[in-house]
Amino acid sequence: MDTGSSVRRSWKAALVLTPAILIGSAAPVSARRLEKHFKVDARPVVTIHNPNGTVTVKAWTRSEVLVIADLIGGQADVGAEQNGNHVDVMTRQLSDNISPDDLRADYQVNVPQDAELQIHNDSGGVSVANVLGDMNVETVAAGVDLQDVAGYLTVKTVGGSFECLRCAGRVEVNSISGNFRLVDMRSKHIHAQTSTGNILFSGEFLPDGEYRLRNYSGVIELRFAPGDSFDLTATSFKGKVNNQAKLIPPAHSLGSAPRNGNALVAGSLNAAGHARVDLTSFDGTINVVKRD
Amino acid sequence: MATMGCKQFLNQLDVWLEGEKPPDAKAHAVVCPNCRAVLEDFQAIASAASELRDESGEPPAYLWNSIRTKLEEEGIIHEPQTAPVVVPTKGWHEWFRALPRPALAGAYLALLVVAGFALSGPITKRVNDYRWIRGTRDSTASLGAHLDSVELATMASFASNPVVTDALHKNLLIVDNYISLCEKSVREEPQSEIARDYLYNAYQQKADLLAQMNEWGE
Repeated sequence: MDTGSSVRRSWKAALVLTPAILIGSAAPVSARRLEKHFKVDARPVVTIHNPNGTVTVKAWTRSEVLVIADLIGGQADVGAEQNGNHVDVMTRQLSDNISPDDLRADYQVNVPQDAELQIHNDSGGVSVANVLGDMNVETVAAGVDLQDVAGYLTVKTVGGSFECLRCAGRVEVNSISGNFRLVDMRSKHIHAQTSTGNILFSGEFLPDGEYRLRNYSGVIELRFAPGDSFDLTATSFKGKVNNQAKLIPPAHSLGSAPRNGNALVAGSLNAAGHARVDLTSFDGTINVVKRD
Repeated sequence: MATMGCKQFLNQLDVWLEGEKPPDAKAHAVVCPNCRAVLEDFQAIASAASELRDESGEPPAYLWNSIRTKLEEEGIIHEPQTAPVVVPTKGWHEWFRALPRPALAGAYLALLVVAGFALSGPITKRVNDYRWIRGTRDSTASLGAHLDSVELATMASFASNPVVTDALHKNLLIVDNYISLCEKSVREEPQSEIARDYLYNAYQQKADLLAQMNEWGE
């Protein structure tokens, strides 16, 4: 009998099994998964209220809402019910005085493409892709990530970041300290306001579009292509405006001249000025830069 | 009889609002629709403030509604737009509705006064400086006090999630700092519309945040 190799095998087994046992013991014993299906008509309204955890919503082609909830803590349950064409999903607390982790639930939700969403998530994160209905998202600390969405999008975070990739429709986003990234946008109406966050906008300037980006401090960056056409006003009350656009000054205004010490840049790019762009900061920096 | 000019009339506005109505100012108000409109606005605000002070408990519903209507008429707040799609959101004024009415009625009114000062167009430097400095002293102090009391009540009742509570505390501090810096800028440049606009906006953000917290804390 080869005792040496037996001992080596035992050590190997121990090395492999110990982490597995530790991982197994670290996993919450009480985690459980719930799955619910709801048949819906066109343009259903889906409401999700989750205090802590992630909410991931994706569109699919079925006339059905699928809710998969992973309840990480042992003190939460999911209330999911349908009233007509409304589906309401809510994480419910099963007892008082529990920790946020006990209440944690992660959702994966599939909805028809034309669904309207109302999502409330305090901490964790919200991610929505390919949904074309209207959307209202409110969070405290959770970041919001939207991709390929359209409709009337209103997002309000206290400190959560906001990222919008290839979004269309009307976008209104408001935060106190969240950063915004609006990339490859195809929206005609964007109002974005954050107090201390940065704002990046890169996208199309559609005819008659209105693009208003405002912060108190931080950086506002607007990226444009040489062929874009818009009327621009960029004002930083106590900060700076750096502009790479060759603007035609407006006929009856101060153009780029500073007014009362403000940094001000105003004018039209490519004459026609199809869209209107207003960038305002209190003491932040505004960069109007050419897109690569 | 030649009446006084608009500038002189506006210089006497505070005297008028305190009850004294000089004959030449009265004559000017008769012939000048613009000054008459300004006067009516200030009288409405003074009247609403007076009614509010007289109420020891909850303000009457009509006052609440009239303040909100006034804010909407002035364009200071907006109802959600109806076309082309249904708005699935709540405006900050709707969040306000969720707050305790007595506590926020004062904040609403103060906000109206602040916004009145902030949004009224420039008339003359002296009048504007005077109006804003006085407006800042009287109105923002009142608004700040109201919001501070709401803040105390809200934080006391707010929820247990430490991530959320930390985020709210941190962001309240940011907004308070934002308010202080804007107030400083307004003092330095009383006629700057941008400074006033940012100050008003800072108060609105604080009110928004408190209303949001209040709603979520329920």
